[in-house]
Order: sequence, then structure tokens, then C-alpha cells
Amino acid sequence: MTSAARGTSLKKTILVLIPAIFAQAAGNVFLSTRMKEIGGSSWFPLLPRVVESPTLWLGIFLLIISFVLFASALSWADLSFVVPAVSAEVVLNVVFANYFLREVVSLTRWTGVLFISIGVVLVLRSERQKARREGGEILRSGD
Amino acid sequence: MKTAILIAIIVLTDAAGDVFLTRGMKQVGEISTINPRAFFGIGGKVITNKNFLSGIFFFTITFVSFLIVLSWADLSLVFPAKSLVYILSTLGAKFVLGETVTSQRWVGISLVCLGVALTSLP
Repeated sequence: MTSAARGTSLKKTILVLIPAIFAQAAGNVFLSTRMKEIGGSSWFPLLPRVVESPTLWLGIFLLIISFVLFASALSWADLSFVVPAVSAEVVLNVVFANYFLREVVSLTRWTGVLFISIGVVLVLRSERQKARREGGEILRSGD
Repeated sequence: MKTAILIAIIVLTDAAGDVFLTRGMKQVGEISTINPRAFFGIGGKVITNKNFLSGIFFFTITFVSFLIVLSWADLSLVFPAKSLVYILSTLGAKFVLGETVTSQRWVGISLVCLGVALTSLP
């Protein structure tokens, strides 16, 4: 593959993973807030109320969308890139909880957010370098 | 001990699910259409792929083990331990799928793993 093609493919991966990350974050929020509202310690008597809840179905729908996008990205991108990239969802969740739900976020969790952010940037850089290197190799071999 | 075994099962099956899912999707081939009809056609190929189905099977075990362990174990132990899956999936990507994992990528993934563990603490 040429470097231009790899470059496009990285762009395509990011374009697919960003909605996957947002859908997963939103899906998790819908699912967990609704489940907490329904509450209770035992699962089975809750089932009818779970099935009736539209918020819960919206959460599940978003998580399915997120999985379809995740699996689609894996049809061309590296697993060792896609899995850490999707962890940005955790950052969104914490920021979301703090900003919209006005939850107090502990220093430990903010530290975690910082680590994830640096980690994702490094993984992204490694993917860009890999694309450049592979493109270079092909050029050198005269393709 | 029971908790440790279940956490090991959760992490192992989650990583195995990732590896099989990737293998299945690579067999189906790069998805490069947004045409809904073509997309559903590919979907048919995906859900009949043995590697994809093995991936789903492993994810199901992960999910069930997770529900079981949550019924007794401490959340602040289970959630951080679960983030080990980032390391294990990467090992699977390297040794089973043959992906190149540069040292920069390893550092990034380790930070993500640590970060996810920290955010899952109270």
C-alpha cells in the first residue's frame, strides 16, 4: 500500500472511531443512569421494567452502533491501535459526568484521564509513523 | 481466590474475543461502503464468519463472568483489574495476529491501561 493510501486509511479509521467513541459514551450514560433509577439488588423481577424503558433501549441501540463501528474499523485497522484509541470513551465519560451531571470527580480519576489522554496521543503518533514507514519501504523497493 | 480466577477469565476471554473478532473482520475484508444495502450484505458475511462468532462467544463469557463476579466482589478491585485487558489484547495482536507493536505504542497502551484503572477507582 502506498503512503497516501495508508494515510487515507488512518483518516478513515479515525472518522469511524470518533462516532464509535461518542456512541459508546452516550450509550453507557443512558444505560447506567436508567439502571440506577430502576435500582434494586435483584435482577429478574426488574426485567419487565427494563424492557419498558425507552432510555434503556436508546442506550442499548447506541452501544450496538458503537460495536458495529468498532468491528468495521477492525476490518482494516490494527487491533493494537483500535483498542487503545477507543479508550478515549472513558475520558468523555468523566468529563461528561463533571460538566453536565455536575458530579465531583476525584483527583485520582482526573489523573487517570490525563494518563489515558497521553496514551491515546502516543498510540496515534505510533500509527502515523507506521504509515509513513510502510509507505517509505514500498517507495524504496521501487513500487 | 475465586475472585482472582474470575478476573483472569474476564481478562482472558475479553482479549481472546478481540483477537477472534479482528481475525474474522480481516477475513471478511475492508469495509469501504456506506451504501446500506451493501453494508447489510457484508453484515450477512460477518455473522456467518466462524472467527467472528468465536469472538462473540468469548465476549459472552466475559459479560456473564463480569455479572457473576460483581455479585460478590469489591467494585474497586474488579474494575481496575479489568483494564489489564489492554495489555493482553495487545499481546494477542502481536503474537497471534502478527501486528507490529512499536515501543512508542507499548508506552501509550500502558498509560491507557494505568489511566483506565485509575478512573475506575472512586
